[in-house]
Amino acid sequence: MGSHRQTEKSPEETIVVEATDLNSGYEESQVLFDISFTARAHRITVILGTSGCGKTTLLKNLIRLHDPWSGSVRLFGEEITALDEPEFDRIMKNVGVLFQNGALLNSITVADNVAVPLEQHTELPREIIDRLVRVKLELVEMGHTLAKLPSELSGGMRKRAALARAIALDPPLLFCDEPSAGLDPMTAAGLDRLILRMRDMLGITVVLVSHHVASIRRIADDVVFMEKGRVLFHGPLKEAQTAGIRQIDDFFTNG
Amino acid sequence: MTFSEPTVTCDEARLVYRGDVTLVSISRLYEDSRAILKGVEGDRLEIDLSGVTRIDTAGAAMLDEIAAAAAGMGMTASIYGADQEISRTLQDFSLKPPKSGKDLEGRKMSFLERIGQWLDKRDREILEFIYLLADTFYYGFVKVLDPRGRRKGEFTNQSLLIGMNALPIVGLVSFLIGFILALQSAAQLRQFGADIYVADLIAIAMTREMGPLITAILIAGRSGSSITSEIATMVVTEETDALKSMGLNPVKYVVVPKFYAITMTMPMLTILSIIIGIFGALVIGYTYMGIAVKPFVDQVVNVLVMRDIITGLIKSLVFAWLIVIIAAFYGFRTKGGPAEVGRATTYSVVASIFAVIFADSILGLIFYFGQDIVIY
Repeated sequence: MGSHRQTEKSPEETIVVEATDLNSGYEESQVLFDISFTARAHRITVILGTSGCGKTTLLKNLIRLHDPWSGSVRLFGEEITALDEPEFDRIMKNVGVLFQNGALLNSITVADNVAVPLEQHTELPREIIDRLVRVKLELVEMGHTLAKLPSELSGGMRKRAALARAIALDPPLLFCDEPSAGLDPMTAAGLDRLILRMRDMLGITVVLVSHHVASIRRIADDVVFMEKGRVLFHGPLKEAQTAGIRQIDDFFTNG
Repeated sequence: MTFSEPTVTCDEARLVYRGDVTLVSISRLYEDSRAILKGVEGDRLEIDLSGVTRIDTAGAAMLDEIAAAAAGMGMTASIYGADQEISRTLQDFSLKPPKSGKDLEGRKMSFLERIGQWLDKRDREILEFIYLLADTFYYGFVKVLDPRGRRKGEFTNQSLLIGMNALPIVGLVSFLIGFILALQSAAQLRQFGADIYVADLIAIAMTREMGPLITAILIAGRSGSSITSEIATMVVTEETDALKSMGLNPVKYVVVPKFYAITMTMPMLTILSIIIGIFGALVIGYTYMGIAVKPFVDQVVNVLVMRDIITGLIKSLVFAWLIVIIAAFYGFRTKGGPAEVGRATTYSVVASIFAVIFADSILGLIFYFGQDIVIY
């Protein structure tokens, strides 16, 4: 992780995620058509669009949960589509992923969940792991839930615990799938503040999928606007709102 | 709003509707309309809605259906006389005609196509099964000294779950099987005065066949189902995706500890099952047939050779691996929602019990015909 930061000359210009001419889909039906975009370091890039436009599929392609039909995905400058498993796992240690429903391991406690990446990928002594787990959980205001099982938590709490797990190894890159979906506006805003805080405190690069306009307005630096599997606009949020593209204007006024 | 009873009448090639064409009266109205439609001749059908006071989505759907039925009889249906509000309801709630070329799913497939599709699907499943098998054996044997990526403490936990907790049921069922087998054979053997051979019979049957089989069937039902439902739930709730995103292999993290646990506990359970089964027979021998304990035990010890025991243990290992891999396979291939978890579990148990019995026959044949060749 550290090495990535040291090689950065001008942080804002470093490209952390780069997708080029990505085509992908399920069985016979193509979902993504020639997707190209980049996410720059220390910025929050939001992939947005209406339901069913391929946002989540794109995210899955970026972390190889789904294989693209053609095109390339680069994380930290390394082409991941062709990597073998150990090499890919090495890259994924630098990547945190927050899933839509948290995807915590249900059979173990919240603290054990956060400890999983620390136990599996580091040689840290137990006491340090325990301490780190507490720090991460307190960072997401979940310090009181250490011994609870995921099933005992509310939806918002589960997402925050999952966020703590995603940032357990201080990854320089964080992917989030619909962090505000299914949450009330107050909780969603709280989660957005947390993601902003991660970016500011830890210098994390965030790539986030969302269709919540209020949330996008709060946190996005750059946006990738998708429609029917194609990228309609890619650039800073402010430019998107003034670009005069009808679909984007509709999205922001009706959302 | 008062309800106005709807009617449909026929006036040459014209269906005339009146009143409230709404959900409560649709079924009767639809049948009346179909009956009338049968008697209509010509190539045009007019649907008169000028007397309709109210229509809802069910009404709109019925009119669509009537128009479609008319089209099927070679007539073009046209609706007229609807006021503005009714027209709008019809417009808003009519099914859009399917886009041409997109409606392939509804198309009837030819016999050959169906065989092709079935094979294509199986083909992929077989490949997935082989991958899982390879992954499990690779991480289980080749990477045995590399505990990274395996769930901590899970081996002990699973050994308890699969092995320890199954002790009472395996013990009880084995006792009953040994007991009842001895009882059934006692009557036959007694006719020849060969009472003592009940010990040989049960010892060989339990060791070579019944012990491994009973244990495997019980474990398939007990642990196979729980392995499938655990993994299927993990797939459905994206836990396996989360593991992959953390750079952890789900097979290594979830399946391998269970693989170790079942590999260790199944032979132990099998030995236990054999001993308890023979004990069940001893109880019958002592109480019902009047055979003393010592001669019975001597007879058992004399008749059993190393080959019988090794046969039983090899069987139990093969069954254990079949159970854990089939259970994991059905868990990982689960797609969709929570309902699929139950379905996957059912398939898994049926498949693993079948596989166990099938493998038992194959192994039985190998050991039977191969006993002269294989030297222990």
